[in-house]
Amino acid sequence: MKSLTLQQVQDFLRSLTSDYDVQAPIALPDGTRVLGRLDEGPLAIPGGRVDSKPTSPFFPQLDRIFAYRRGSIAMQQPVEKPLLVVGLTAEDADALTFIDEFFAAEYRDDVYFNKRDRSAVIVVSGRCGKDGGFLKIAGGDCDLEFVCDGERYVLVPYTEAGKRLAHRAPEGDEVSSIADLQAESDALPDDDRQVLERASRLLQEDRVPEEFWAEIADRCIACTACNLLCPTCTCFEVFDWTRGEQIERYRLWDSCQLAGFMREASGHNPMGEEHVRTRRRIHHKLAADRTRWGRISCSLCGRCDDVCPSGIGIKAVTREIVRRFGIEKENGPET
Amino acid sequence: MGRPPTRQQAPAPLYRPVPCTVQSVADLTPTEKLFRLVREDGRPFGHRPGQFVQVSMLGAGEAPISVSSSPTRGPYLDLGVRRAGELTGLMHEVLAPGAEVGIRGPFGTSFDTDAMRGGDVLLIAGGCGLAPMRALIQYCEDRRDEFGNVTVLYGARTPEDRLYKDDLAEWSRSPHLDCRCTVDEAPPDQQWDGNVGVITTLMPPLEVDPQRTTAVIVGPPVMYRFVISELEAKRLRHDQVIVSLERHMKCGVGKCGHCTIEHLYCCLDGPVFRLDEIIHLKGAI
Amino acid sequence: MKRVLTTCPYCGVGCNLYLVVGDDGRLVGVEPSVGHPVSRGQLCIKGWNAFHFVNHPDRLTHPLIRRGGRLVPASWDEALALVAGRMREIQDKHGPDSVAVFSSAKTTNEENYLAMKLTRAVFKTNNVDHCARLCHASTVAGLAATFGSGAMTNSIACVEQADLFFVIGSNTTEQHPIIGARIIQVCQNGGKLMVADNRKIRLARLADLHLRHRNGTDVALLNAMMHVIISEGLTDEEFIASRTERYEDLERLVAHYPPARAARITGLTPEEIADAARLFASADHAMIIYAMGITQHTHGVDNVRSCANLAMLTGNIGRPGTGVNPLRGQNNVQGACDMGALPDVYSGYQRVTDDAARAKFQRAWGVRGLPRDVGITSTAAIDAAAAGDLKALYVIGENPTLSHPDIRHVRTALQNLEFLAVQDIFQTTTADLADVVLPACSFAEKDGTFTSTERRVQRVRRAVSPIGESRPDWHIICEIASRAGYSGMQYDSPDAVMEEIAALTPSYGGISYSRLDGPGLQWPCPAADHQGTPVLHVGKFARGQGVFRPADYRPPAELPDDDYPFVLTTGRNYFHFHTGTMTRRSRLLHREERFPYVEISPEDARSLGIRDQQWIHVGTRRGEVRVQARVTDTAMKGVLFMPFHYVEAAANLLTINALDPEAEIPEFKVCAARVRSTP
Repeated sequence: MKSLTLQQVQDFLRSLTSDYDVQAPIALPDGTRVLGRLDEGPLAIPGGRVDSKPTSPFFPQLDRIFAYRRGSIAMQQPVEKPLLVVGLTAEDADALTFIDEFFAAEYRDDVYFNKRDRSAVIVVSGRCGKDGGFLKIAGGDCDLEFVCDGERYVLVPYTEAGKRLAHRAPEGDEVSSIADLQAESDALPDDDRQVLERASRLLQEDRVPEEFWAEIADRCIACTACNLLCPTCTCFEVFDWTRGEQIERYRLWDSCQLAGFMREASGHNPMGEEHVRTRRRIHHKLAADRTRWGRISCSLCGRCDDVCPSGIGIKAVTREIVRRFGIEKENGPET
Repeated sequence: MGRPPTRQQAPAPLYRPVPCTVQSVADLTPTEKLFRLVREDGRPFGHRPGQFVQVSMLGAGEAPISVSSSPTRGPYLDLGVRRAGELTGLMHEVLAPGAEVGIRGPFGTSFDTDAMRGGDVLLIAGGCGLAPMRALIQYCEDRRDEFGNVTVLYGARTPEDRLYKDDLAEWSRSPHLDCRCTVDEAPPDQQWDGNVGVITTLMPPLEVDPQRTTAVIVGPPVMYRFVISELEAKRLRHDQVIVSLERHMKCGVGKCGHCTIEHLYCCLDGPVFRLDEIIHLKGAI
Repeated sequence: MKRVLTTCPYCGVGCNLYLVVGDDGRLVGVEPSVGHPVSRGQLCIKGWNAFHFVNHPDRLTHPLIRRGGRLVPASWDEALALVAGRMREIQDKHGPDSVAVFSSAKTTNEENYLAMKLTRAVFKTNNVDHCARLCHASTVAGLAATFGSGAMTNSIACVEQADLFFVIGSNTTEQHPIIGARIIQVCQNGGKLMVADNRKIRLARLADLHLRHRNGTDVALLNAMMHVIISEGLTDEEFIASRTERYEDLERLVAHYPPARAARITGLTPEEIADAARLFASADHAMIIYAMGITQHTHGVDNVRSCANLAMLTGNIGRPGTGVNPLRGQNNVQGACDMGALPDVYSGYQRVTDDAARAKFQRAWGVRGLPRDVGITSTAAIDAAAAGDLKALYVIGENPTLSHPDIRHVRTALQNLEFLAVQDIFQTTTADLADVVLPACSFAEKDGTFTSTERRVQRVRRAVSPIGESRPDWHIICEIASRAGYSGMQYDSPDAVMEEIAALTPSYGGISYSRLDGPGLQWPCPAADHQGTPVLHVGKFARGQGVFRPADYRPPAELPDDDYPFVLTTGRNYFHFHTGTMTRRSRLLHREERFPYVEISPEDARSLGIRDQQWIHVGTRRGEVRVQARVTDTAMKGVLFMPFHYVEAAANLLTINALDPEAEIPEFKVCAARVRSTP
């Protein structure tokens, strides 16, 4: 496997811009890190997860579905230059795998795949997290992984596209194994994961009462950031704009934390009460998706906890669930 | 439910409305109109009773509308549309015969007519619920020998609010169907000599053979619980009861997330569900 | 794709965010600014949707001129010449004070400064004002009189240093959501919360004490709390002795407000009032947070003074985690005040009646004869237009036909003008009455600065090109000045305007664009090496000693009676902003609150036979509107609440044009109303 210095990684990514629309972690003036083009700001590969929604290159906040003019519809076309998204974490890549499956299931969502098809994804992991933290090694869920050993980045390809990309990388040092890094990754604490699993089970067993959700809901100001930044949140609103002779149809990130999300034209609203919406946010990730897709759809990226103005992100709420409803009941005869 | 064994991939692009022409428009009630549509390319829609389509009014967006006609009647779609929001309001205002309108679909599950075959069917509709039910009633009429007794119960707020009054009159006269109507109230200025009372008042006198009956319920949210209790009283099991649920939808194809009921998507797994599949889910009924 | 860091255009919290610009040059989203000290990567739903209206098809894209009764497209040259020409013409005929300018709390500091300069230096009148008249005029007057500075005394960061919040007349989680959410977090960790507001707002649900006093009885409540604090010896004697004057006046006045008396006025129990007093006085760091519930009254200034009295009495001012904290409603209402878009002051609150100040500005602007008389307020301007005394009005980014009280009166007044020019981003109902409509750029299309509620001056940055032929407000204002024959308003960029502001405005003296690349600076920032002032009145009040200015309780102008048995109070909801021109064109925000509504208590709804979501009529002596009933225990029995965003059922058709005698702010919070449930 090739092993590159940060400078070589940067040069490598730059060299790929001729064939790819490269979007990588960029440091913005106030320190925010987002997925951006290389000319948008200094490349900031180390630092852990980006602050923006990592799946937004494929599922942006606002996306035009079609434009209609004088009897003909121009549907959104596949992007001309394939996307190369660099700098997802293992958690982000896991989330991307989930939404790939979601958007492909039953009916294939071409508005998503217009961007996702032909794209490549590079995960960054290892000893290059925020404040020197270690980033879990993805070991898949992407085409290529840059595993940082503290100084250099080892290129680990997982797909044919990943191999082709790695092949194009400059000749750096060769590394035969990342076993030590893998061991370090495997040894990362998984407390949050355990809490999530326990909360998931409590939800599936319907052990979390309505009063709990009402209490959490009282603290929710409905900013919707938990949904908007969540890498597996895919809900969208659709609307038309008429601009002169042209009619444009868009989709726009939506949020199940809004009363209007499920309100029907008649005024009837299955999620008209705050506590029902608050429950849905957590229940959907931990129980409903588990039933439907066979897995929890929270990858524990931590964005909702960081961005929630009132401290009720998914980690905070699941900790609370486990603390209040977990302990002795979980040791009951049925488990 | 009546889902084909392998779902046909919708022809890409998924969100492109297919151009259709309005063949006719009729007033059903002061707030409801019937639109009959055909595809501009003349091809059939391939719909089955219980399914819905996404109606696209360019400039106002899309809305899910139940199909009111059975494919056994021809390659057209009847849509009974209540003026409720911006889009349906616009349909009422601008859609005249010859007008163009975009359609995506049909989508969703259908009433499982295969499973009903050979038995009695009890079709219970309230208010707008007659819109999808009409497709099933037509289907039963057209394939009458496939079914045992076919009973239709319909409840509306007032006589004037009844949908498909001509059809109702015809069904009431038909020797092939037992069709009974009721209204919640009959204002003095509206002629009505039928039953007055909520829909469940029609149920006690019915003779239902719990061994061979499938019941289908479509109506406003408040109706289900009451009708289900009556059916339980008649010893119908939940797997003999079919319901069609209404939810807000944006895409119709399981992506936008607006119509979920716990892990189910009303647009993909519904709108037609067998009651035992959903009765335990929070917020379903 | 690119991202441009800017300041949110909605409330006064001053969150920063990135506008995301797509490859086609249009805005496609918002991303949070993680490094910003206030927002820290967090935004409310309006912030997350702040990009949406910018590219709305309804944007005004070219100037309009009224011809034959209709507004028709015209060239910029024509439109600008007409504005300058008509204003001049009318002044020649009727004198300088026959014209007025409404500046805007939505536009930048630079633009407000230029609007006030245009009014004063070019049109030679002090008739300039803006919507602070409708929101915090009472604060500016009340706190200037007691502390010497009419602004939020502390910083938003102080929320995390407080151990008690007294939130009175502020629905913080809806109107200043990021501050409201921070309060929630502090209270989760043991902070105490006291809410005085008869609506059961979100904070009230989480409060240790919720006081549901009658609307407009704040002075009685506050006086009685101070009565208890004094009689139980809970005052901060040292603070009173060393930092304040005229304490005796307060002592004498509040002696007349024992809790039993205040209980009769407020509808609270004497115990509730005493509990509130003790809880407040027991805190080491008590933060008073207020908004329109305090200011929008005929006794708004008295309310503000009483809040100031309470803070001084307990020594809760001049330290982190304390203070009297008016939350400013608009992105730049603080800045518009700071810039002197007010009839009595130049920028930095330098009085027009002060000869030295006038001389200074005359010199700087190269003009003579700056007017020495205080101009008319925007509320008075409407009355003057109705009376025929005001002949021409140039409205920048305001919508008085929806935002002012008693809008039937407003419409009549504006129709009575000889000339009305309106500059906005959308065709408002005010613009519908205009002779000239000037299409302005939105916040996303121009550079400048906004000053947030915590006095933080921060950058607004151009992210996209102007929509259509629209132009930045600063540019339009300068063009009008030139066409009116003044050569002293030619700038290359807003940067240059800020240089002039800094040179003439002591509290902004150290502010320049080169220093605003980071998170901005909090005024007073008098010098280029000054780091700004997070907390005011530390060690010493702006005016020297703090002064107690006690006030007697005065009832609101119009109280319920047999014909109009309800109190109607008005305000905003979470999803919409003011007259809704932007939020109602933002898909999600509009979807959330589509219809005009009135909140009514379950008891009242039951006795009137009103169902939730039923369409009903709400009427006052000024008019009647049809709205959806929202039956909710948020509303107290006898009180109706209506948001004022909805043009189709304007709450301000109902409100009363009764003004505070000092601040001339209208009493939006109380009038008498009735409800009709017939269709």
